[in-house]
Amino acid sequence: MPLARSLSVTSLSGLEEWDEEFDVEDAVLFEIAWEVANKVGGIYTVIQTKARLTSEEWGENYFLVGPYVESNVRTQVELIEPTHPTLKRTIEKMNSSGCKVYFGRWLIEGSPYVILIDVGFTAWSLDTWKSELWDLCGIGVPWFDREANDAVLFGFLTAWLLGEYAAQCDEPPHIVAHFHEWLAGLGLVLCRQRQLSVATIFTTHATLLGRYLCAGNVDFYNKLSEFNLDKEAGDRQIYHRYCLERAAAHCAHVFTTVSQITAIEAEHLLKRKPDIVTPNGLNVKKFSAVHEFQNLHAQSKNRIQEFVRGHFYGHLDFNLDKCLFLFIAGRYEFSNKGADLFLESLARLNYLLRVNHSDVTVIAFFIMPARTNNFNVETLKGQAVRKQLWDTAQTVKERFGKKLYESLLVGQLPDVSKMLDKEDFTIMKRAIFATQRQCQPPICTHNMLEDSSDPILSCVRRIGLFNSSADRVKIIFHPEFLSSTSPLLPMDYEDFVRGCHLGVFPSYYEPWGYTPAECTVMGIPSVSTNLSGFGCFMEEHIADPSAYGIYILDRRFRGVDESCNQLTSFLFQFCKQSRRQRIIQRNRTERLSDLLDWRYLGRVLLQIPKDYFCSCKNFRMT
Amino acid sequence: MAHLTTAFVTLVTTDSYCVGATAVARSLRRHGTTRSIVVMVTPNVSEQSRVALRNAFDEVITVDAMDSGDRPRLSLLGRPELGITFTKIHCWTLTQFSKCVFLDADTLVLCNVDELFERDELSAAPDPGWPDCFNSGVFVFRPSLHTHACLLDHALRHGSFDGGDQGLLNSFFSSWPVADISKHLPFVYNISGNSVYSYLPAFQQFGHSAKIVHFTGAEKPWSSGYRRDDGRSHFMEHFASLWWKEYLSYSTSPPPGKHIRQDPEEPQGFHVMNSPSRLICYSPSSSWQSAADADTEQLEHRRRWEAGEADYLGRDAFRNIQKMLDCFLDSSSQ
Repeated sequence: MPLARSLSVTSLSGLEEWDEEFDVEDAVLFEIAWEVANKVGGIYTVIQTKARLTSEEWGENYFLVGPYVESNVRTQVELIEPTHPTLKRTIEKMNSSGCKVYFGRWLIEGSPYVILIDVGFTAWSLDTWKSELWDLCGIGVPWFDREANDAVLFGFLTAWLLGEYAAQCDEPPHIVAHFHEWLAGLGLVLCRQRQLSVATIFTTHATLLGRYLCAGNVDFYNKLSEFNLDKEAGDRQIYHRYCLERAAAHCAHVFTTVSQITAIEAEHLLKRKPDIVTPNGLNVKKFSAVHEFQNLHAQSKNRIQEFVRGHFYGHLDFNLDKCLFLFIAGRYEFSNKGADLFLESLARLNYLLRVNHSDVTVIAFFIMPARTNNFNVETLKGQAVRKQLWDTAQTVKERFGKKLYESLLVGQLPDVSKMLDKEDFTIMKRAIFATQRQCQPPICTHNMLEDSSDPILSCVRRIGLFNSSADRVKIIFHPEFLSSTSPLLPMDYEDFVRGCHLGVFPSYYEPWGYTPAECTVMGIPSVSTNLSGFGCFMEEHIADPSAYGIYILDRRFRGVDESCNQLTSFLFQFCKQSRRQRIIQRNRTERLSDLLDWRYLGRVLLQIPKDYFCSCKNFRMT
Repeated sequence: MAHLTTAFVTLVTTDSYCVGATAVARSLRRHGTTRSIVVMVTPNVSEQSRVALRNAFDEVITVDAMDSGDRPRLSLLGRPELGITFTKIHCWTLTQFSKCVFLDADTLVLCNVDELFERDELSAAPDPGWPDCFNSGVFVFRPSLHTHACLLDHALRHGSFDGGDQGLLNSFFSSWPVADISKHLPFVYNISGNSVYSYLPAFQQFGHSAKIVHFTGAEKPWSSGYRRDDGRSHFMEHFASLWWKEYLSYSTSPPPGKHIRQDPEEPQGFHVMNSPSRLICYSPSSSWQSAADADTEQLEHRRRWEAGEADYLGRDAFRNIQKMLDCFLDSSSQ
């Protein structure tokens, strides 16, 4: 079933036709988040990638608002004079009242304007503002929670900024303020309390409580409606944060989340059903040649194969051309990210491949950073041995070539039996002896600090996948992010993903899930779950996702064992495909990338203010 | 009743200092002292103020002002108003008590400090400006008419090297820096409230264990000229706000029909307040009246939140917070 390359906009639920009547000219959009020009976690990626589309749409009237962090500003921001006269007055007024507000361009794609507020400079107001917060909402903020205190300062300062801006406008302004996450949420609450003429949007990318509850190994999704929220948050010492988050969700004109699964989570944990789901996109790279990504796959695959040759030296008893590379990557959250399920399925897959006498070998990479003290010797030695064999072959080739050349020069066909002399054989024999190995190829590329208690290694020991030659499934655990300067596997993450055959992300808790989305835009098939935002999104928008290389595991309505069987069957099916089938599948996968492009997904977000102003035309009058 | 022979003593020489003295008495009470709390007042303090002080103190004792008359030297310090603090040495005449702790009216007690009565005369904390001198804002002494006479004599003969009481007392108890280490009170018993510390890291390390804060300098937390400025550290702001909390928390008359909650350790017979008009006599601005509406209960409630002890299963449940949010959400939609 082919999919049209340009999807119709209306296929996204909740999105109406473009409203041309809306006049952006006199409207301004403030996008407010703690991670503007300040990388702390995943929100940074969302905001940074979305900025291009938003600034194309809003032009000079789009401002990102974040905290001023000197080290970030030095590397990512060009400070300039405010361009917009109203904003210039606003910033001058604030700076003369004891704030430090900076204005500049964020040096990313789209180079949007940023307003950066020095939160520490106004720390002397903390107690006054905390009292005000107390009087307004009855929420107190413990003095020992640094982040929450920053959230108070940031909240009051952003509300001040918006209020001052509205006051500086000559005409009643169209102001839209889009707040991300609880750290920025207080600004929204204050805008409503001060009755500023501002349309507010609150986006939560995950809920505070959800992350805590999932990590606590409770049967999260089946118990969603049963939690006593106040108690769970209070018992976990995050009650004040939870109150701030829920207050923002409650007060927002428009409340959004990034995926259906997070929408369900928010409905139960924040007690408000999101008005709109706004999936996160990517900036998709377009190649002029349609099959360019297939070539890149082949190139990167060769580099991974080289690494594998070194890693398995002395045990290269499998056919590398019939070898499939699977990988899982992300933060090291063993069960939240589904590494447990993946390992268990690999054990079952190993059994299936063996009893079916399959000639396919599966190599599963685990790219999850853990505490290590550098590479282990055996792994480094493997690469050195491979290099030596390569050099030896080059040397012999040189000598061989020279003799061949000489014999041709004198007009004779070479005598093949004399082409290699004794010395050549000695060199080669010595090189082969060096590849002898007593031990099994290592599982882990690094020396782990907590080797005996490490969850992945413990699990590997339990299921007994030790890279022996009888095993059809081999495991390589790389407990560090990939880097192109690594002596072991010198590739960056993007190249590595391109070289693999399948990404496996059987997460239990994954509000959005950039990893499978990144696979998709590079044309690499992936496994995700119906508990991840990405999985839900694909399930919703594609009739038969697995035909496009998007395998979606059911972890929501099935037990662990059943999910495990399902994953095993996905993997086994994948192993049975021919090379040709895999190429066709990759082509199909890559076609989905338009669906994940901000140019497409961002429209949902861009539509919100327009809908909002259209639906409350009286908004300004009152 | 044995405890009543010991007392905390403070001194008020102008109406404006009554505010400070009241905060001293209240902070002592709130932290459950078992000792008497007395205030010495000079005759120029108004009768209304004395009435107010009687509500906060066990005893209000009138003493004669004793100005050192040493204006030239006092003006060296830029503090001509200090002369009146010579009156301080009158505290040695309070012989109805066996031992006393003197607290300046510009101090604030942050926890129970009754252990000070285990010290002997003359115990005091070093002055941050010259640590070989003690600061006379907090000191332990034994009332004695003999000592009082000697001090007067010393004052008349040698004067005071800084023109104030601190110079006099330091030259009189000149062995303090070298003699007996047990007479050196730890600095936390007299942390100078508004000086900018040259040793900020130590202050950040130990400042939180402060027991008594001393708002030295001409501007007091209650004076209108007292402003937040960059020179003062964040911690100092914190102390100033504590002073306000202490002051405001007890400045409300209970609403009709509602009993004010008394500290369990408060001595019987002590009434926190019964004269709402009392405030007016030393309130520099009427805005205090509205601020004074915040009652103890509220402050304690907020304090519990800020200690991470919100009553999330009871009154702090989110539905109650949501009600507050809905108040302003509803009013804006109308």
